[in-house]
Amino acid sequence: MISKGATWNSNSCRIKFARRFVSALLHMRNRNTRPGSLTIEGVRTHTQRIKIAAYLSMAQAVGSRRAWSRAVLSKHGSRARRHSRMGRSSVGLKKTRVIRSYPPGELGQAKKLRQLVPGGKTMDMCSLLEETAHYIKCLATQVKVMQTLADNFSK
Amino acid sequence: MDGRENEDVGFQHGGEDDLHCPSLGMSTNPLPEKISGMIMSSVSMYKPSNGADPFFSSGWDPLASLSQNQNFGGSSSTVSHSEFANPPYPIALENQGTSSTGQLVRYPSNSSFVELVQKLPCFGSGSFSEMANSFGFPDCGQIANSGCPQNYASLKEGGTGITSTNGALSRDDPQISCEGAIGSSPNAKRRKRASDSKNSPITHQNAEGELQKSLSRESSDVLKEPDEKKPRIEHSKGSNLRGKQAGKQAKDTSSGDASRENYIHVRARRGQATNSHSLAERVRREKISERMRLLQELVPGCNKITGKAVMLDEIINYVQSLQQQVEFLSMKLATVNPELNIDIEQILSKEIIHSRGGAGAILGLAPAMNSSHHYPHGIFQGTFPSIPSTTPKYPLLPQTVLDNELQSLFQVGFNSCPAVDNLGSNGNLKPEFQ
Repeated sequence: MISKGATWNSNSCRIKFARRFVSALLHMRNRNTRPGSLTIEGVRTHTQRIKIAAYLSMAQAVGSRRAWSRAVLSKHGSRARRHSRMGRSSVGLKKTRVIRSYPPGELGQAKKLRQLVPGGKTMDMCSLLEETAHYIKCLATQVKVMQTLADNFSK
Repeated sequence: MDGRENEDVGFQHGGEDDLHCPSLGMSTNPLPEKISGMIMSSVSMYKPSNGADPFFSSGWDPLASLSQNQNFGGSSSTVSHSEFANPPYPIALENQGTSSTGQLVRYPSNSSFVELVQKLPCFGSGSFSEMANSFGFPDCGQIANSGCPQNYASLKEGGTGITSTNGALSRDDPQISCEGAIGSSPNAKRRKRASDSKNSPITHQNAEGELQKSLSRESSDVLKEPDEKKPRIEHSKGSNLRGKQAGKQAKDTSSGDASRENYIHVRARRGQATNSHSLAERVRREKISERMRLLQELVPGCNKITGKAVMLDEIINYVQSLQQQVEFLSMKLATVNPELNIDIEQILSKEIIHSRGGAGAILGLAPAMNSSHHYPHGIFQGTFPSIPSTTPKYPLLPQTVLDNELQSLFQVGFNSCPAVDNLGSNGNLKPEFQ
C-alpha cells in the first residue's frame, strides 16, 4: 500500500485482520437474535459492536508492537470491559490523570491528532507522528477489507 | 623492521588501499582482512554492532592484552558509533603484530590503522563503556578509561575517511605511542573531516596540546612527534590555531556532550549553533520532518503540500474520514442479511482478489439490497447527509452506493420517515471510538 516493499507486510496484515474480523462477525451473528436486528436501536448497537470488533481485530492483528494497538487492546480488552462495567468513575479518574500528563507537543493541531489516534495522549510529537503513520496504514487496510466484506455479503 | 617496510609499502598505496590489510605485512594476523572489511562497512554504517560482531568475537584477546599496555593517559571524550567499531580491531591488530614493543603500541603505517588506533583512545569513558558493554566487551571500557587523550570529540562522525593525508602518515614512524597516536590523530581527524575545514586544525592542536601534557611519560617515541607535527601544521588550514583552541575546544566538548546524550551522534555543522540544547533540538526536528515526509506519502494528495501546519490538518482530516468510513461500513455490515454458512477462506480469497483489483467498487450493490430491509435503507438515507461533509477529495465509495440505494428507496416507497428523522439526528458519524 505504501510501497512495493511494504506490500507483503500489508497483505499479511490485511489477511490477519480479515480472519479475525470475519470470525468476530460470525460469532456476533450467532449470538445475535434475529428480531433485534430489525429495530433501529438494535442495528445501532450491532453497528457499534461491529465497529469495536473491527478495531479490536485490527489491533490484535498488529499485536503489541505499536503503542496505538496496545492502547486499543487495553481499552477494549475483556478486562477493560469488566472494569468499565463495574465502576466507570475510577477508570475515568485514571484517564484524566493520564491525560493531564501528556507532553506539550506542537500547537492545537497535535492535540486533535492525539485525540484521533488511540493512545496518542501520552506520546511525544515524534512518536505520535510515527504512530499516526502506522495507524493510517492499518485504518486504510481495515476500510478496504470491510468494504470488500460488505460487498461480498450483499451480493 | 621488515614488517614495517612491508607496512610502509602497503601504506603508500593511497586512501582506499589502506584497507587492504594483508598488504601491510600483518599477514600472520587474520584480523586485518576482517578489519579492512569492517572499516569499509563501518564507514557507511552508523551502528557498528551490525557488522562488528565477527570482529569482536575474534579480536577480543588482543584487546585484553592491550589493556596491559596502559598506553593511554587521561580520559577521552565521546566517540561516535561509526568509529566505535574500528578501534578495538586496530588495537588488536597492533598487539598481535607488534608484540615486540613493550609498552608502545606499534601500528603499521597504514593510515587506516593509525586512525583506528587513534580512535581507540578517543572513546569517552562514559560512552565507550556503554558501547563496550553493549557489545559485551567490558575490557574495552576499562581500556578506554585507563587513559585516553582528551580531545577526540572531533573524531565524531568522521567515518574512516582515509584521505590524501596518507602520504603524511607514511612518513611517520609507525610506532604509535600515545603521543604518536596523538600526533597522527590530528591527521586522521583532518582526514575524517575533509568537509569540516574549521574543526580539523583546531582539534589537532587541542589533541596535541592535551596529549602532550598527559603523555609526557611516553618518551621513547617522542622522536617522531616533531615529524608528525610538521605535517599537521602543514595540513592545518588555519593560521592561528592555538588562538582558536579554547573556543573550538568548548565547541567540541559541548558537541561531545550533546552527542553523549543522543545515542546517534550529531556533529555541529559549520555556522550552526553548537549548544547541546540546540543540537538535540535539531535532531528532534529532523526526526519530526522525516516522519512528516512518511506521512505525506501515506495521505493521498499531499505531495505538493509544504509546511507542517497544513500537513497536520490534512492528516487529521484523513484520519477522521477513515474512521467515518469504518463506522459507515460497520453499519452496513450490521444490516446485511447474515449468511450463516459463510466460508472464511472463500471470503478471504474473494477479498484479496477484490482488494487487489482496487478498493472494492460497490456499484452493483443497490439491486441486491432492494428486496430486503427497509430500515437499513432508511438508516442510510438518514446518515447520508453527514457523509458528504467529510473531505470530499477522499474517495468515499459508499456515496455511489447510497445514490443507488436512494433510487431504490424511492422505488420501493419507503415510508419510515420518523425513523429516519430520529436516526438523522443521532446518526452522526463522528468517530466515537478512540
